[in-house]
Amino acid sequence: MRLGFWLGLAAAVGSLLLPLLLYDAELTIYVFIGLSIIVVAGLNLLYGFAGQVSLGQGAFYAIGAYCAGILARRGIPPLAALLLAPVLTAAVAVVVGLPVLRLRGHYLAFATLAFQLIVLSIAGQFRELTGGDTGLTGIPDLTVAGVGFPLERRAFGYAYLTWVLTALALLLVHNLVASRPGRGLRALATSEAAARGSGVPVGRYKLQVFALAAAFAGLAGGVYAFFLSYIAPGSFPILLSIQFLVMSAVGGVAVVWGPVLGAVLIYILAQVLQTIGSQPGMPLHAPAELNYAVYGLVLILIMLLLPEGIVPALRSAVASGRLRSPGGAAPGMAAGPGGAPVPPPARRQ
Amino acid sequence: MSFFLGVVSSGVATGAAFALVATGFVVIHRVTRVVNFAQGVFSVVAGMLCAALLTLGLPHFLAEVVAILAAIAAGFGVGLVAIGRRGTPPLASLIITLGVGVLSYAVVILLWGDGPVSFSMLQGQVDVGGVTMLWQYVLIVAATAVTFGALMLFFNLTYVGKALTACYSNPHAARLVGIDVRRMGLLAFAIGGGLGGLAGVLLTPLQPVEFDSDVSIAINGFAAAIFGGLLRPGTALVGGLVLGVAEALVSGYSRYASLQSGVALVLILGIMVYQAGRRPEGAE
Amino acid sequence: MILEVRELVVRYGQATALDGVSLEVGEGEMVALVGPNGAGKTTLLNTISGLIRPASGSIRTAGRVVQVPEGRQLFGDMTVEDNLRLGAWRVRDRNLSHIYELFPPLSEMRRRRAYTLSGGEQQMVAVGRALMGGPQLLAVDELSLGLAPLVVQNLAEHVVRLNRESGMAVLLVEQNARLALDICARAYVLEAGRLAMAGQSAELRRSPAVQAAYLGGAVGEGEAVRAPATSPRTAGGGEGGGTAP
Repeated sequence: MRLGFWLGLAAAVGSLLLPLLLYDAELTIYVFIGLSIIVVAGLNLLYGFAGQVSLGQGAFYAIGAYCAGILARRGIPPLAALLLAPVLTAAVAVVVGLPVLRLRGHYLAFATLAFQLIVLSIAGQFRELTGGDTGLTGIPDLTVAGVGFPLERRAFGYAYLTWVLTALALLLVHNLVASRPGRGLRALATSEAAARGSGVPVGRYKLQVFALAAAFAGLAGGVYAFFLSYIAPGSFPILLSIQFLVMSAVGGVAVVWGPVLGAVLIYILAQVLQTIGSQPGMPLHAPAELNYAVYGLVLILIMLLLPEGIVPALRSAVASGRLRSPGGAAPGMAAGPGGAPVPPPARRQ
Repeated sequence: MSFFLGVVSSGVATGAAFALVATGFVVIHRVTRVVNFAQGVFSVVAGMLCAALLTLGLPHFLAEVVAILAAIAAGFGVGLVAIGRRGTPPLASLIITLGVGVLSYAVVILLWGDGPVSFSMLQGQVDVGGVTMLWQYVLIVAATAVTFGALMLFFNLTYVGKALTACYSNPHAARLVGIDVRRMGLLAFAIGGGLGGLAGVLLTPLQPVEFDSDVSIAINGFAAAIFGGLLRPGTALVGGLVLGVAEALVSGYSRYASLQSGVALVLILGIMVYQAGRRPEGAE
Repeated sequence: MILEVRELVVRYGQATALDGVSLEVGEGEMVALVGPNGAGKTTLLNTISGLIRPASGSIRTAGRVVQVPEGRQLFGDMTVEDNLRLGAWRVRDRNLSHIYELFPPLSEMRRRRAYTLSGGEQQMVAVGRALMGGPQLLAVDELSLGLAPLVVQNLAEHVVRLNRESGMAVLLVEQNARLALDICARAYVLEAGRLAMAGQSAELRRSPAVQAAYLGGAVGEGEAVRAPATSPRTAGGGEGGGTAP
């Protein structure tokens, strides 16, 4: 049997059982990790398929959160608001992406960064709609047909909701990669000209991937809004986008394991740093400072030492140790037809 | 009328500083094809260091020069990390410069704290054809003019300057004639650091810097730079001046002074969209 | 020997581009390297120029090797004069007068930007830029590519003259085997990353295999067009007879 399948099954069962052992504070981290996995899965699609880096994924996360929060506060049933969040976010992404996606690599990175700053500025200005800089309070809890999570098991409920959504997102991505359009998209990342020459509708595919990645972020943002019941522009700093990028870079361009490993490792790291930074005797700004230092170093070191990320590196380590069954582990964008690691063109332009 | 001219003159001054940052982007991008996300960091470091040196009792000018030299060294260092390793693709280099930017926050906070820092500007004002201008504005404009003149001479008349242009024009051919493209890239990063540093010491008296001021400085510089598609320093100068004046007018006349920073952002997106529409998809 | 290549192996990832290639060029010699597209000729030149690191084998040079790259590779938006001057990056002797003597037309277009020149003029700049590097061995990659027959003839004559008058060795990489065998005394045939044949040009020209594959046993269109331009030279040029420049 395939190693990847069993690993996947073990991870699924393990993560399904894990909330039973966790306290509320730990469940919160569990939820955040799940939401990050969803966002990073979208980011990886964009990276691996369209060869593009987005520094504004936090913007789509924010748009999803504001959509869900604003709609739910205005009397739309919370579940409908949650489902509308990714749809509306994707719609915004299409409008933004239509012109911006015509730009290659480096420009897009700056354009998405500028986009996030604009989104934050708008969220801070339009007080009637967004609550301005003070934020949007009193977002109702998520309910289905009027039934919500019982108050004392609320975090528990959100943990499982996140689990389901994360699993769905990863399954969707997994199938997309193996599908016919998925192969077309891979051709796109290899060489845009070649893909266009062989009849792949490059522009449309790129836009669709951009919109899908935004929808993922929007969905995660929607859950975030309901879970915290309070959002403000300050909840979505540029550092959040950078954090998503760090997770993506650490995990690497692998479809399923990349986001999972990236998000889990970075959250563990963040917790460790928080613990160290808030030791007695540490200066007030120590936690933030440690975060900056470590994220910066991680980005630099990963790019210099493991530019394909940890998962492809692990995979080729396993492959060279001849422990791997033929066919390879979970299909990754970095894995060629025979399972041989092919350098992802996204990172070498 | 005089209020209008005052606003314009302040816009020209800040715009000139943006143009310096923009030229840093352009010089680095031309030679290395890397968009340097750490470009704003040079200004922050130079501004903070200059303030610290002044507090230590160093005289003006000397403090500024030392700060700019430090920014040049910082530029060289960023280049070493970003492109020093053979075969680092430009997109990886970009992410590395982003990492350097984040890392710099930690360093800056460690050295100078997380509050805003400033130092006193050139005192007094001067009457230029009926417009009263702060001496600091005159200084910024003059320093920018001299710098641009020097850059033009350097790129058009010196052999090394031409070699830098050659690296941009045809990297493969540059390698063939024996130019070490990587070393030229490091030189470009050092120049970019110096330009950012100069902008930093000029701007800090007008707008106090914080550890994360690099984002807004970089955004303004980038907006000015993409006027010329990140490739032409001359257009970057025009871009900087237009941007500076536009922002000054918005903050001078609009009820929403906070929209000022929005000008650069909208400009970035607008120019990108325009340029994307003008050239065939995917073309540089 | 000005250039001595021994058992050179070059790999691109899994693919082997050059597989045990040995080749030498003596002082003042003109040597041709012919072979079909994709045989590894340019890879060989780039490895000799130090742009590609070989997997194994050795390259020994006694003197400077300067390459005239395939497709000219000029600094398009810089002037002719700047292009020539930059050729001297390694040697720092930036006197251009001998180039202008060799190619008088270039002196008149010294202020023009390289991309505005015709293909033949660009090739002159490319050769001139390489000469500015003071080569003891000039490695020319596809001198004739995309140029009109008369232009090719003119350029070839210049290269031959340089070889005769200054004793500069030449390694001429050509798809146009007829031209290469005509002006070079010795030749190597590279096929799929391996040396298929080597020897005196005169012998190779008589070899049925070379005739069939490269000299128009089945004359290709390009060959037919070029034939008139190079055929007058066949009489005197190839075997070391007097070449009228």
